[in-house]
Amino acid sequence: MAEDKVFLDPTVGWILLALFSVLWIGLGVYWGRRNKSFEDHALAGRNVGLALGTATAAATWITSNTTMLAPQFALQLGIWGMLAYSTAAFGLILFAPMAKRIRQLMPHGYTSGDFFRLRYGRVAWAIFLVFTLFYSLTWLVSMAMAGGILLEALAGIDYAWGMSVILAVCVIYTMRGGLAAVIGTDFIQSLIIIVGICVTGFAVLQNVSVSEIHANLTATKPALLDVLFPAAIMAIFNNLLFGLGEVFHNNVWWSRAFAFREGVASRAFLMGGLVWLPIPVAAGFIALASGALGVAVPSADMVGPLVIAEVLGGVGAVAIFIVVFCSLASSIDSLLAATSDLVTEDIWRRLLHPSSSADNLKRTAQWVTLGLGVLTWLVCLPRIGTLATVLFFAGPLVGSMIWPIVTGLYWRSANTVGAIGAMVLGAGVGLYFYFAIGFYVATLIATAVSMVWTLGACALAKGRFDWTRLKEAA
Amino acid sequence: MTFSEGFLSVLIYGSLIWCGVSALGLAAMLIRDGKSGEIW
Repeated sequence: MAEDKVFLDPTVGWILLALFSVLWIGLGVYWGRRNKSFEDHALAGRNVGLALGTATAAATWITSNTTMLAPQFALQLGIWGMLAYSTAAFGLILFAPMAKRIRQLMPHGYTSGDFFRLRYGRVAWAIFLVFTLFYSLTWLVSMAMAGGILLEALAGIDYAWGMSVILAVCVIYTMRGGLAAVIGTDFIQSLIIIVGICVTGFAVLQNVSVSEIHANLTATKPALLDVLFPAAIMAIFNNLLFGLGEVFHNNVWWSRAFAFREGVASRAFLMGGLVWLPIPVAAGFIALASGALGVAVPSADMVGPLVIAEVLGGVGAVAIFIVVFCSLASSIDSLLAATSDLVTEDIWRRLLHPSSSADNLKRTAQWVTLGLGVLTWLVCLPRIGTLATVLFFAGPLVGSMIWPIVTGLYWRSANTVGAIGAMVLGAGVGLYFYFAIGFYVATLIATAVSMVWTLGACALAKGRFDWTRLKEAA
Repeated sequence: MTFSEGFLSVLIYGSLIWCGVSALGLAAMLIRDGKSGEIW
Protein backbone atom coordinates (compact mmCIF):
# COMPACT_ATOMS: atom_id res chain seq x y z
CA MET A 1 0.00 0.00 0.00
CA ALA A 2 1.17 3.50 -0.72
CA GLU A 3 0.36 4.67 2.76
CA ASP A 4 2.73 7.60 2.64
CA LYS A 5 0.68 9.35 -0.05
CA VAL A 6 -3.07 9.96 0.09
CA PHE A 7 -5.17 11.05 -2.85
CA LEU A 8 -7.82 13.10 -1.09
CA ASP A 9 -7.80 15.66 1.69
CA PRO A 10 -8.92 13.84 4.88
CA THR A 11 -11.50 16.56 5.59
CA VAL A 12 -13.08 16.02 2.17
CA GLY A 13 -12.95 12.27 2.82
CA TRP A 14 -14.78 12.65 6.14
CA ILE A 15 -17.39 14.95 4.57
CA LEU A 16 -18.07 12.42 1.78
CA LEU A 17 -18.19 9.60 4.31
CA ALA A 18 -20.66 11.54 6.47
CA LEU A 19 -22.92 12.50 3.54
CA PHE A 20 -23.20 8.98 2.17
CA SER A 21 -23.60 7.51 5.66
CA VAL A 22 -26.57 9.80 6.36
CA LEU A 23 -28.06 8.98 2.94
CA TRP A 24 -27.83 5.18 3.34
CA ILE A 25 -29.10 5.16 6.93
CA GLY A 26 -31.96 7.52 6.06
CA LEU A 27 -33.03 5.33 3.15
CA GLY A 28 -32.70 2.19 5.27
CA VAL A 29 -34.95 3.59 7.98
CA TYR A 30 -37.46 4.83 5.36
CA TRP A 31 -37.65 1.52 3.51
CA GLY A 32 -37.66 -0.44 6.77
CA ARG A 33 -41.06 1.05 7.67
CA ARG A 34 -42.66 -1.31 5.12
CA ASN A 35 -41.43 -4.41 6.95
CA LYS A 36 -44.06 -6.02 9.15
CA SER A 37 -42.83 -9.63 9.29
CA PHE A 38 -39.72 -11.78 8.86
CA GLU A 39 -40.74 -12.39 5.23
CA ASP A 40 -40.83 -8.63 4.60
CA HIS A 41 -37.52 -8.13 6.38
CA ALA A 42 -35.63 -11.08 4.89
CA LEU A 43 -37.15 -11.19 1.40
CA ALA A 44 -38.57 -7.69 0.82
CA GLY A 45 -42.08 -9.21 0.65
CA ARG A 46 -41.06 -11.51 -2.30
CA ASN A 47 -42.11 -8.77 -4.71
CA VAL A 48 -38.94 -7.10 -6.06
CA GLY A 49 -39.26 -5.87 -9.66
CA LEU A 50 -36.90 -6.16 -12.62
CA ALA A 51 -35.02 -2.85 -12.32
CA LEU A 52 -34.14 -3.28 -8.65
CA GLY A 53 -33.50 -6.99 -9.19
CA THR A 54 -31.04 -6.40 -12.01
CA ALA A 55 -29.24 -3.63 -10.14
CA THR A 56 -28.88 -5.58 -6.90
CA ALA A 57 -27.48 -8.63 -8.71
CA ALA A 58 -24.86 -6.45 -10.40
CA ALA A 59 -24.11 -4.18 -7.42
CA THR A 60 -23.60 -7.02 -4.95
CA TRP A 61 -21.13 -8.67 -7.31
CA ILE A 62 -19.22 -5.37 -7.67
CA THR A 63 -17.05 -5.49 -4.59
CA SER A 64 -14.06 -3.33 -3.79
CA ASN A 65 -12.10 -6.19 -5.37
CA THR A 66 -13.77 -5.48 -8.70
CA THR A 67 -12.79 -1.83 -8.69
CA MET A 68 -9.35 -2.26 -7.07
CA LEU A 69 -8.21 -5.77 -8.01
CA ALA A 70 -9.24 -5.60 -11.68
CA PRO A 71 -6.57 -2.93 -12.38
CA GLN A 72 -4.06 -5.05 -10.44
CA PHE A 73 -4.99 -8.11 -12.54
CA ALA A 74 -4.50 -6.00 -15.69
CA LEU A 75 -1.13 -4.76 -14.48
CA GLN A 76 0.13 -8.24 -13.62
CA LEU A 77 -1.67 -10.50 -16.11
CA GLY A 78 -2.42 -8.10 -18.96
CA ILE A 79 -5.42 -8.31 -21.24
CA TRP A 80 -6.14 -11.90 -20.22
CA GLY A 81 -6.16 -10.73 -16.59
CA MET A 82 -9.03 -8.33 -17.26
CA LEU A 83 -10.90 -10.91 -19.31
CA ALA A 84 -10.31 -13.56 -16.62
CA TYR A 85 -11.86 -11.27 -14.05
CA SER A 86 -14.84 -10.67 -16.34
CA THR A 87 -15.62 -14.39 -16.39
CA ALA A 88 -16.98 -14.02 -12.86
CA ALA A 89 -20.07 -12.56 -14.60
CA PHE A 90 -20.91 -16.10 -15.76
CA GLY A 91 -21.73 -16.96 -12.15
CA LEU A 92 -24.70 -14.57 -12.36
CA ILE A 93 -25.59 -15.44 -15.96
CA LEU A 94 -25.64 -19.21 -15.34
CA PHE A 95 -27.53 -18.73 -12.08
CA ALA A 96 -30.39 -17.10 -14.05
CA PRO A 97 -32.16 -20.33 -15.08
CA MET A 98 -31.44 -21.82 -11.65
CA ALA A 99 -33.09 -18.85 -9.93
CA LYS A 100 -36.26 -19.50 -11.92
CA ARG A 101 -36.13 -23.18 -10.98
CA ILE A 102 -35.53 -22.34 -7.30
CA ARG A 103 -38.55 -20.02 -7.26
CA GLN A 104 -40.72 -22.76 -8.84
CA LEU A 105 -39.54 -25.62 -6.63
CA MET A 106 -39.47 -23.66 -3.37
CA PRO A 107 -42.20 -21.01 -3.44
CA HIS A 108 -42.03 -20.68 0.37
CA GLY A 109 -38.24 -21.03 0.76
CA TYR A 110 -36.06 -18.55 2.64
CA THR A 111 -32.45 -19.67 2.33
CA SER A 112 -30.05 -21.94 0.45
CA GLY A 113 -29.87 -23.88 3.73
CA ASP A 114 -33.56 -24.75 3.33
CA PHE A 115 -32.68 -26.41 0.03
CA PHE A 116 -29.91 -28.57 1.51
CA ARG A 117 -32.06 -29.57 4.49
CA LEU A 118 -35.07 -30.57 2.42
CA ARG A 119 -33.17 -32.05 -0.53
CA TYR A 120 -30.30 -33.91 1.14
CA GLY A 121 -31.10 -34.17 4.87
CA ARG A 122 -29.52 -32.89 8.06
CA VAL A 123 -25.93 -34.16 7.68
CA ALA A 124 -25.49 -32.53 4.27
CA TRP A 125 -27.25 -29.44 5.64
CA ALA A 126 -24.76 -29.25 8.55
CA ILE A 127 -21.75 -29.56 6.22
CA PHE A 128 -23.24 -26.93 3.95
CA LEU A 129 -23.78 -24.53 6.89
CA VAL A 130 -20.17 -24.93 8.04
CA PHE A 131 -18.84 -24.29 4.53
CA THR A 132 -21.10 -21.37 3.70
CA LEU A 133 -20.78 -19.63 7.08
CA PHE A 134 -17.00 -19.92 6.88
CA TYR A 135 -17.06 -18.43 3.38
CA SER A 136 -19.58 -15.68 4.18
CA LEU A 137 -17.83 -14.56 7.35
CA THR A 138 -14.46 -14.56 5.61
CA TRP A 139 -15.89 -12.49 2.76
CA LEU A 140 -17.50 -10.11 5.23
CA VAL A 141 -14.29 -9.68 7.21
CA SER A 142 -12.21 -9.20 4.06
CA MET A 143 -14.63 -6.52 2.80
CA ALA A 144 -14.67 -4.63 6.11
CA MET A 145 -10.88 -4.79 6.32
CA ALA A 146 -10.60 -3.63 2.72
CA GLY A 147 -12.89 -0.72 3.64
CA GLY A 148 -10.61 0.46 6.43
CA ILE A 149 -7.45 -0.03 4.40
CA LEU A 150 -8.82 1.72 1.30
CA LEU A 151 -10.29 4.71 3.13
CA GLU A 152 -6.94 5.16 4.84
CA ALA A 153 -4.99 4.86 1.59
CA LEU A 154 -7.36 7.12 -0.37
CA ALA A 155 -8.11 9.85 2.16
CA GLY A 156 -5.83 9.33 5.15
CA ILE A 157 -8.77 8.31 7.36
CA ASP A 158 -7.44 6.17 10.19
CA TYR A 159 -7.97 2.44 9.48
CA ALA A 160 -9.90 1.74 12.69
CA TRP A 161 -12.21 4.72 12.17
CA GLY A 162 -12.83 4.08 8.45
CA MET A 163 -13.52 0.37 8.99
CA SER A 164 -15.76 1.11 11.99
CA VAL A 165 -17.81 3.78 10.21
CA ILE A 166 -18.46 1.81 7.02
CA LEU A 167 -19.35 -1.32 9.01
CA ALA A 168 -21.59 0.60 11.45
CA VAL A 169 -23.44 2.36 8.62
CA CYS A 170 -24.11 -0.93 6.81
CA VAL A 171 -25.21 -2.65 10.04
CA ILE A 172 -27.62 0.16 10.95
CA TYR A 173 -29.42 0.38 7.62
CA THR A 174 -29.49 -3.40 7.15
CA MET A 175 -30.91 -3.88 10.66
CA ARG A 176 -33.58 -1.27 10.13
CA GLY A 177 -34.50 -1.90 6.52
CA GLY A 178 -33.65 -5.57 5.89
CA LEU A 179 -33.34 -6.79 2.31
CA ALA A 180 -35.53 -3.94 1.00
CA ALA A 181 -32.97 -1.39 2.22
CA VAL A 182 -30.13 -3.48 0.82
CA ILE A 183 -31.76 -3.78 -2.60
CA GLY A 184 -32.88 -0.14 -2.71
CA THR A 185 -29.46 1.22 -1.83
CA ASP A 186 -27.90 -1.29 -4.24
CA PHE A 187 -29.76 0.40 -7.09
CA ILE A 188 -28.33 3.82 -6.27
CA GLN A 189 -24.88 2.37 -5.56
CA SER A 190 -24.82 0.43 -8.84
CA LEU A 191 -25.62 3.57 -10.84
CA ILE A 192 -22.95 5.58 -9.01
CA ILE A 193 -20.34 2.85 -9.55
CA ILE A 194 -21.10 2.27 -13.23
CA VAL A 195 -21.32 5.96 -14.11
CA GLY A 196 -18.17 6.66 -12.06
CA ILE A 197 -16.17 3.96 -13.84
CA CYS A 198 -17.49 5.06 -17.23
CA VAL A 199 -16.72 8.76 -16.73
CA THR A 200 -13.24 8.21 -15.26
CA GLY A 201 -12.44 5.74 -18.05
CA PHE A 202 -13.33 8.21 -20.80
CA ALA A 203 -11.50 10.98 -18.90
CA VAL A 204 -8.32 8.87 -18.80
CA LEU A 205 -8.65 8.29 -22.55
CA GLN A 206 -8.65 12.07 -23.04
CA ASN A 207 -5.09 12.03 -21.71
CA VAL A 208 -3.73 8.95 -23.44
CA SER A 209 -4.88 7.10 -26.57
CA VAL A 210 -5.30 3.35 -26.93
CA SER A 211 -2.62 3.53 -29.61
CA GLU A 212 -0.14 5.00 -27.10
CA ILE A 213 -1.09 2.40 -24.47
CA HIS A 214 -0.56 -0.42 -26.98
CA ALA A 215 2.76 1.00 -28.20
CA ASN A 216 4.04 1.44 -24.65
CA LEU A 217 3.06 -2.11 -23.65
CA THR A 218 4.64 -3.55 -26.80
CA ALA A 219 7.90 -1.78 -25.98
CA THR A 220 8.04 -2.28 -22.21
CA LYS A 221 5.74 -5.14 -21.16
CA PRO A 222 4.92 -7.30 -24.20
CA ALA A 223 3.87 -10.22 -21.99
CA LEU A 224 0.75 -8.25 -21.00
CA LEU A 225 -0.37 -8.37 -24.65
CA ASP A 226 0.56 -12.04 -25.11
CA VAL A 227 -2.32 -14.15 -26.42
CA LEU A 228 -0.70 -17.24 -24.84
CA PHE A 229 0.07 -15.95 -21.32
CA PRO A 230 -0.06 -19.25 -19.32
CA ALA A 231 -0.58 -17.82 -15.82
CA ALA A 232 -3.41 -15.60 -17.04
CA ILE A 233 -5.13 -18.44 -18.89
CA MET A 234 -5.01 -20.55 -15.68
CA ALA A 235 -6.57 -17.61 -13.83
CA ILE A 236 -9.56 -17.72 -16.19
CA PHE A 237 -10.59 -21.23 -15.12
CA ASN A 238 -10.00 -20.56 -11.43
CA ASN A 239 -11.96 -17.30 -11.49
CA LEU A 240 -14.78 -18.82 -13.48
CA LEU A 241 -15.23 -21.78 -11.14
CA PHE A 242 -14.83 -19.71 -7.99
CA GLY A 243 -17.52 -17.38 -9.33
CA LEU A 244 -19.86 -20.25 -10.16
CA GLY A 245 -19.39 -21.91 -6.77
CA GLU A 246 -19.86 -18.67 -4.88
CA VAL A 247 -23.06 -17.63 -6.66
CA PHE A 248 -24.59 -21.12 -6.85
CA HIS A 249 -24.33 -21.83 -3.12
CA ASN A 250 -24.41 -18.54 -1.25
CA ASN A 251 -27.52 -17.24 0.42
CA VAL A 252 -26.72 -13.75 -0.87
CA TRP A 253 -27.98 -14.95 -4.27
CA TRP A 254 -30.59 -17.49 -3.14
CA SER A 255 -32.29 -14.87 -0.94
CA ARG A 256 -32.62 -12.69 -4.03
CA ALA A 257 -34.07 -15.57 -6.05
CA PHE A 258 -36.74 -15.91 -3.33
CA ALA A 259 -37.24 -12.15 -3.07
CA PHE A 260 -37.81 -11.38 -6.76
CA ARG A 261 -41.36 -11.25 -8.06
CA GLU A 262 -42.70 -14.22 -10.04
CA GLY A 263 -41.12 -14.24 -13.50
CA VAL A 264 -38.42 -11.70 -12.62
CA ALA A 265 -35.59 -13.82 -11.13
CA SER A 266 -34.26 -15.33 -14.33
CA ARG A 267 -34.21 -12.08 -16.30
CA ALA A 268 -32.79 -10.07 -13.39
CA PHE A 269 -29.79 -12.40 -12.91
CA LEU A 270 -29.14 -12.60 -16.65
CA MET A 271 -29.20 -8.83 -17.05
CA GLY A 272 -27.27 -8.32 -13.80
CA GLY A 273 -24.51 -10.54 -15.21
CA LEU A 274 -24.50 -8.61 -18.48
CA VAL A 275 -24.30 -5.30 -16.59
CA TRP A 276 -21.35 -6.66 -14.59
CA LEU A 277 -19.47 -8.26 -17.52
CA PRO A 278 -17.63 -5.16 -18.88
CA ILE A 279 -16.76 -3.62 -15.49
CA PRO A 280 -13.42 -5.41 -14.88
CA VAL A 281 -12.20 -4.26 -18.30
CA ALA A 282 -13.57 -0.72 -17.92
CA ALA A 283 -11.98 -0.40 -14.47
CA GLY A 284 -8.88 -2.47 -15.28
CA PHE A 285 -7.57 -0.93 -18.50
CA ILE A 286 -6.56 2.17 -16.51
CA ALA A 287 -3.66 0.14 -15.10
CA LEU A 288 -2.42 -0.65 -18.60
CA ALA A 289 -2.25 3.11 -19.23
CA SER A 290 0.13 3.72 -16.30
CA GLY A 291 3.27 3.20 -18.40
CA ALA A 292 2.16 5.42 -21.28
CA LEU A 293 1.17 8.13 -18.79
CA GLY A 294 4.49 7.87 -16.97
CA VAL A 295 2.81 7.11 -13.62
CA ALA A 296 5.11 5.32 -11.18
CA VAL A 297 3.36 2.39 -9.52
CA PRO A 298 5.03 1.52 -6.19
CA SER A 299 2.27 -0.92 -5.22
CA ALA A 300 0.19 -2.87 -7.73
CA ASP A 301 -2.91 -2.97 -5.52
CA MET A 302 -3.26 0.83 -5.69
CA VAL A 303 -2.61 1.24 -9.40
CA GLY A 304 -6.19 2.29 -10.25
CA PRO A 305 -6.40 5.23 -7.80
CA LEU A 306 -2.79 6.20 -8.60
CA VAL A 307 -3.48 6.62 -12.30
CA ILE A 308 -6.86 8.32 -11.84
CA ALA A 309 -5.57 10.76 -9.22
CA GLU A 310 -2.51 11.52 -11.34
CA VAL A 311 -4.51 12.19 -14.48
CA LEU A 312 -7.70 13.73 -13.09
CA GLY A 313 -6.41 15.35 -9.89
CA GLY A 314 -8.81 16.15 -7.04
CA VAL A 315 -11.97 15.40 -9.03
CA GLY A 316 -10.63 11.95 -9.90
CA ALA A 317 -9.73 11.31 -6.26
CA VAL A 318 -13.28 12.21 -5.17
CA ALA A 319 -14.70 9.95 -7.89
CA ILE A 320 -12.59 6.94 -6.91
CA PHE A 321 -13.40 7.48 -3.22
CA ILE A 322 -17.15 7.46 -3.91
CA VAL A 323 -16.94 4.45 -6.25
CA VAL A 324 -14.91 2.45 -3.72
CA PHE A 325 -17.22 3.41 -0.83
CA CYS A 326 -20.30 2.36 -2.82
CA SER A 327 -18.62 -0.89 -3.92
CA LEU A 328 -17.87 -1.76 -0.31
CA ALA A 329 -21.30 -0.85 1.03
CA SER A 330 -23.16 -2.76 -1.73
CA SER A 331 -21.35 -5.99 -0.78
CA ILE A 332 -21.15 -5.62 3.01
CA ASP A 333 -24.88 -4.91 3.37
CA SER A 334 -25.81 -7.91 1.22
CA LEU A 335 -23.54 -10.22 3.19
CA LEU A 336 -24.91 -8.97 6.50
CA ALA A 337 -28.52 -9.44 5.38
CA ALA A 338 -28.04 -12.86 3.75
CA THR A 339 -25.89 -14.30 6.54
CA SER A 340 -28.23 -13.04 9.26
CA ASP A 341 -31.18 -14.62 7.41
CA LEU A 342 -29.26 -17.89 7.18
CA VAL A 343 -28.50 -17.90 10.90
CA THR A 344 -32.07 -16.86 11.79
CA GLU A 345 -33.83 -19.33 9.49
CA ASP A 346 -31.49 -22.33 9.59
CA ILE A 347 -30.14 -22.20 13.13
CA TRP A 348 -32.56 -20.14 15.23
CA ARG A 349 -35.82 -21.26 13.63
CA ARG A 350 -35.15 -24.75 12.27
CA LEU A 351 -32.83 -25.99 15.04
CA LEU A 352 -33.62 -24.01 18.19
CA HIS A 353 -37.07 -22.36 18.11
CA PRO A 354 -39.36 -23.97 15.51
CA SER A 355 -42.45 -22.20 16.84
CA SER A 356 -41.06 -18.65 16.60
CA SER A 357 -43.56 -16.04 15.45
CA ALA A 358 -42.98 -13.89 12.35
CA ASP A 359 -42.36 -10.86 14.55
CA ASN A 360 -39.92 -12.75 16.76
CA LEU A 361 -38.00 -13.95 13.71
CA LYS A 362 -37.78 -10.41 12.36
CA ARG A 363 -36.38 -9.13 15.66
CA THR A 364 -33.98 -12.09 15.82
CA ALA A 365 -32.70 -11.32 12.33
CA GLN A 366 -32.06 -7.72 13.37
CA TRP A 367 -30.11 -8.79 16.46
CA VAL A 368 -28.14 -11.35 14.44
CA THR A 369 -27.21 -8.59 11.97
CA LEU A 370 -25.92 -6.51 14.88
CA GLY A 371 -24.05 -9.52 16.28
CA LEU A 372 -22.42 -10.24 12.92
CA GLY A 373 -21.37 -6.61 12.70
CA VAL A 374 -19.79 -6.66 16.17
CA LEU A 375 -18.04 -9.98 15.47
CA THR A 376 -16.68 -8.67 12.17
CA TRP A 377 -15.53 -5.46 13.85
CA LEU A 378 -13.67 -7.40 16.56
CA VAL A 379 -11.92 -9.59 13.99
CA CYS A 380 -11.01 -6.62 11.78
CA LEU A 381 -9.80 -4.27 14.50
CA PRO A 382 -6.31 -5.80 14.99
CA ARG A 383 -5.76 -5.49 11.21
CA ILE A 384 -4.24 -8.91 10.66
CA GLY A 385 -2.80 -8.41 7.20
CA THR A 386 -3.00 -11.98 5.99
CA LEU A 387 -6.64 -12.52 6.92
CA ALA A 388 -8.04 -11.45 3.56
CA THR A 389 -6.06 -14.19 1.84
CA VAL A 390 -8.15 -16.75 3.76
CA LEU A 391 -10.84 -16.01 1.18
CA PHE A 392 -8.79 -17.93 -1.40
CA PHE A 393 -8.77 -20.85 1.05
CA ALA A 394 -12.56 -21.00 0.69
CA GLY A 395 -12.29 -21.66 -3.08
CA PRO A 396 -12.25 -25.49 -2.75
CA LEU A 397 -15.19 -25.35 -0.30
CA VAL A 398 -17.44 -23.42 -2.67
CA GLY A 399 -16.21 -25.38 -5.72
CA SER A 400 -17.20 -28.66 -4.05
CA MET A 401 -20.82 -27.46 -3.69
CA ILE A 402 -21.45 -26.67 -7.39
CA TRP A 403 -22.45 -30.19 -8.46
CA PRO A 404 -24.64 -31.13 -5.48
CA ILE A 405 -26.60 -27.91 -6.06
CA VAL A 406 -26.98 -28.15 -9.83
CA THR A 407 -27.88 -31.86 -9.87
CA GLY A 408 -30.08 -31.42 -6.79
CA LEU A 409 -32.14 -28.80 -8.59
CA TYR A 410 -32.58 -30.69 -11.86
CA TRP A 411 -32.07 -34.45 -11.35
CA ARG A 412 -34.34 -36.63 -9.27
CA SER A 413 -31.51 -39.18 -9.01
CA ALA A 414 -29.25 -36.76 -7.08
CA ASN A 415 -28.97 -38.12 -3.55
CA THR A 416 -27.61 -37.62 -0.04
CA VAL A 417 -24.58 -39.92 -0.42
CA GLY A 418 -23.60 -38.06 -3.57
CA ALA A 419 -23.96 -34.63 -1.97
CA ILE A 420 -22.10 -35.43 1.26
CA GLY A 421 -19.29 -37.29 -0.53
CA ALA A 422 -18.95 -34.55 -3.13
CA MET A 423 -18.61 -31.82 -0.50
CA VAL A 424 -16.28 -33.70 1.86
CA LEU A 425 -14.07 -35.34 -0.79
CA GLY A 426 -14.07 -32.36 -3.14
CA ALA A 427 -13.15 -29.88 -0.42
CA GLY A 428 -10.61 -32.25 1.16
CA VAL A 429 -8.74 -33.04 -2.06
CA GLY A 430 -9.00 -29.41 -3.19
CA LEU A 431 -7.48 -28.16 0.06
CA TYR A 432 -4.67 -30.71 -0.20
CA PHE A 433 -3.73 -29.34 -3.62
CA TYR A 434 -4.19 -25.77 -2.32
CA PHE A 435 -1.19 -26.40 -0.06
CA ALA A 436 0.66 -28.83 -2.37
CA ILE A 437 0.48 -26.70 -5.55
CA GLY A 438 -1.33 -23.39 -5.09
CA PHE A 439 -4.65 -21.56 -4.88
CA TYR A 440 -4.99 -21.37 -8.66
CA VAL A 441 -5.65 -25.12 -9.03
CA ALA A 442 -7.49 -25.81 -5.77
CA THR A 443 -10.99 -24.80 -6.89
CA LEU A 444 -10.59 -26.57 -10.22
CA ILE A 445 -9.56 -29.86 -8.56
CA ALA A 446 -12.25 -29.62 -5.86
CA THR A 447 -14.92 -29.10 -8.50
CA ALA A 448 -13.64 -31.99 -10.63
CA VAL A 449 -13.56 -34.45 -7.69
CA SER A 450 -16.99 -33.30 -6.59
CA MET A 451 -18.34 -33.74 -10.12
CA VAL A 452 -17.03 -37.32 -10.49
CA TRP A 453 -18.47 -38.37 -7.12
CA THR A 454 -21.84 -36.70 -7.70
CA LEU A 455 -22.30 -38.14 -11.20
CA GLY A 456 -21.25 -41.60 -9.99
CA ALA A 457 -23.73 -41.46 -7.11
CA CYS A 458 -26.49 -40.33 -9.46
CA ALA A 459 -25.74 -43.15 -11.89
CA LEU A 460 -25.91 -45.77 -9.12
CA ALA A 461 -28.97 -44.30 -7.38
CA LYS A 462 -32.12 -46.41 -7.24
CA GLY A 463 -34.47 -43.93 -5.57
CA ARG A 464 -35.97 -40.84 -7.18
CA PHE A 465 -36.58 -37.60 -5.28
CA ASP A 466 -40.10 -36.26 -4.92
CA TRP A 467 -39.96 -32.54 -5.83
CA THR A 468 -43.01 -31.71 -3.73
CA ARG A 469 -40.86 -32.21 -0.61
CA LEU A 470 -39.21 -28.87 -1.41
CA LYS A 471 -42.53 -27.02 -1.18
CA GLU A 472 -42.37 -26.88 2.61
CA ALA A 473 -44.85 -24.40 4.07
CA ALA A 474 -43.28 -21.35 5.71
CA MET B 1 1.39 -13.71 -30.91
CA THR B 2 0.01 -10.57 -29.27
CA PHE B 3 -3.33 -8.83 -29.01
CA SER B 4 -3.58 -6.10 -31.65
CA GLU B 5 -4.19 -2.41 -31.09
CA GLY B 6 -7.57 -2.77 -32.82
CA PHE B 7 -8.61 -5.53 -30.42
CA LEU B 8 -7.55 -3.44 -27.44
CA SER B 9 -9.54 -0.45 -28.78
CA VAL B 10 -12.68 -2.51 -29.25
CA LEU B 11 -12.26 -4.03 -25.79
CA ILE B 12 -11.75 -0.72 -23.97
CA TYR B 13 -14.24 1.45 -25.84
CA GLY B 14 -16.74 -1.42 -26.02
CA SER B 15 -16.58 -1.89 -22.24
CA LEU B 16 -16.97 1.79 -21.47
CA ILE B 17 -19.89 2.21 -23.87
CA TRP B 18 -21.45 -0.98 -22.49
CA CYS B 19 -21.21 0.50 -18.97
CA GLY B 20 -22.87 3.72 -20.16
CA VAL B 21 -25.69 1.83 -21.87
CA SER B 22 -26.15 -0.35 -18.75
CA ALA B 23 -26.59 2.71 -16.54
CA LEU B 24 -29.13 4.21 -18.92
CA GLY B 25 -30.90 0.87 -19.18
CA LEU B 26 -31.18 0.51 -15.40
CA ALA B 27 -32.60 4.02 -15.08
CA ALA B 28 -35.08 3.38 -17.90
CA MET B 29 -36.18 0.09 -16.33
CA LEU B 30 -36.78 1.78 -12.99
CA ILE B 31 -38.94 4.45 -14.65
CA ARG B 32 -40.89 1.76 -16.50
CA ASP B 33 -41.38 -0.29 -13.32
CA GLY B 34 -42.40 2.86 -11.47
CA LYS B 35 -45.03 3.75 -14.07
CA SER B 36 -46.57 0.29 -13.88
CA GLY B 37 -46.34 0.18 -10.06
CA GLU B 38 -43.94 -2.79 -10.14
CA ILE B 39 -40.82 -1.45 -8.43
CA TRP B 40 -41.66 -3.73 -5.48
